[in-house]
Amino acid sequence: MKNRGATILAIIGAALLILPLVMHDTFVLRVLTEGIMWIGLAIAFDVIAGYTGYLNFGHGAFFGIGAYTIGILMMQANLPFWAALPLGGVAAGITALIAGIPTLRLKGAYFAIATWALSRAIQQLALNVEFTGGPDGMRLEAFLNPQFFYYLMLITVGVIFATLWYLLERAPFGLKLKAIREDEEGAKALGLNPTKLKMQSFILSALPTGILGGIYAYWITFIDPSSTLGDLVSDQAVVMVVFGGMGTLFGPALGAILIFAFKTLFWAYLSDFQLLYLIILGALIAISVIFIPNGLWGTMVKRKAGATRPEQKAEPASEPAALSAVAAPEEGN
Amino acid sequence: MAEPILKVNSVTKCFGGLTAVDDVSFSVEKGEIVGLIGPNGAGKTTLFNVISGYYAPTKGSVIFQGNDISGKPPYHLAGVGIGRTFQVVKPFAGLTVLENVTIASFLKHPKKADAERHAWQVLETTGLADRANVSAAGLTLAGRKRLEISKALALDPSFLLLDEVVAGLNPTEADRTVELIMKLKAQGLTILIVEHIMRVIMNISDRLVVLNFGKKIAEGTPSEVSSDPHVVQAYFGEEAA
Repeated sequence: MKNRGATILAIIGAALLILPLVMHDTFVLRVLTEGIMWIGLAIAFDVIAGYTGYLNFGHGAFFGIGAYTIGILMMQANLPFWAALPLGGVAAGITALIAGIPTLRLKGAYFAIATWALSRAIQQLALNVEFTGGPDGMRLEAFLNPQFFYYLMLITVGVIFATLWYLLERAPFGLKLKAIREDEEGAKALGLNPTKLKMQSFILSALPTGILGGIYAYWITFIDPSSTLGDLVSDQAVVMVVFGGMGTLFGPALGAILIFAFKTLFWAYLSDFQLLYLIILGALIAISVIFIPNGLWGTMVKRKAGATRPEQKAEPASEPAALSAVAAPEEGN
Repeated sequence: MAEPILKVNSVTKCFGGLTAVDDVSFSVEKGEIVGLIGPNGAGKTTLFNVISGYYAPTKGSVIFQGNDISGKPPYHLAGVGIGRTFQVVKPFAGLTVLENVTIASFLKHPKKADAERHAWQVLETTGLADRANVSAAGLTLAGRKRLEISKALALDPSFLLLDEVVAGLNPTEADRTVELIMKLKAQGLTILIVEHIMRVIMNISDRLVVLNFGKKIAEGTPSEVSSDPHVVQAYFGEEAA
């Protein structure tokens, strides 16, 4: 099962890698690049929302901060792209750290409202200060190479996916975050520091989002407060993750692919009805919360087969051995 | 006798104008089971929350193994060897039983594979191994109380605070839990237990501390305490005394 999953992933990865060599349609490449970006945004959002249980409605702010950081550093400080890119992630991470101190004390809807308000405030800031170009936005030096951006996005999202997979599914960190999501008070008694874990999770969610924002800015070459700091980035991420399945990595990826495909088709054929798109997004989130609360992926996999008892395959753990592991002193029955 | 493992020094805990725990002192020696009893609202759970770091005492101090731990956060206390259960059980409902216990095992076993192996051993001890892959939300009350104990044990604590782990169980389940507690004592664990079921608390405790309206009204062996007029009065009213 696990090996089959890895094989499927490897095949998809290989197909995506060779695709631009056989396919030269710029429009398709562009759509794929953005689709891959959305997978990255959705899984990064899921770190804080799905694994940790803090629904962040300001995810778009990290994206915009990454985009603006790269824009400002490249155009005003004349930094090369490769030097500016990691700083976009760092800027988003620092924003998460500062924003997290007050907001991570809030729970549920209050956290969602606070982060939403914060992202609105950051958007207003970008509209009103000089160095962002205000409402006119900012034009970056154009580097028109669709293949380059396709590969850059693919590799970046691949690295993000692998890193999050390791941290959340392989290392103890993911399970600790889920403990926070399930019961913060109970988690404290087990030696977990919720404040620290929530902060780590928030930063881990923000950092890759900032980097993706930076790549987006250089790729699209034009950023303004409504395209990168608007509601739509956050809202789409929320719908993708809730629809796909929170607290997993494949769920948000699946949600991202489906929602983005829908968006692309909608834009292609019904671009006169943009408001309708938002209405459909809203309806979709309501429907998925009511009918598939575990999301598509969560409903598909249900519960995994589960781990096996160790002694079934190896040494039979005798009663005294099991006991002495629990309480250090020697047995004394 | 050696230095007590836990010393509660004149602990007072107020919530606004309400004094929930009023100048309570007692100590627990290594390896013994001390029962904390008292009528509803006597302040037992509040005292538990002070000892386990959920509340800072308003006055007084808690000394654990010679160190002042008053006001230290719970996750710090878990690290120094204090495990606790909750009267209102706190399972991580969306996770499996094994995952619940593994999270506690991380404290002493930072590697996931080691933590899981350790969690299995704990589940064997507490009799939940058969339910390891079940969602914690799917456990019965008895199972959830057992899961509470399992999580506390997975911390490899030297001192265990058990808050009503028997209440609400049927007699067979209660006997199994008592058996487990005695087994843990035999392993050298020190236990402070709050319990309402007198049959249980009288049998397993070496000593009892009795609270009423936040004050300590008696302390001693179960037989001493059960004949103490203050205790009889607190439980049965003026006339019985």
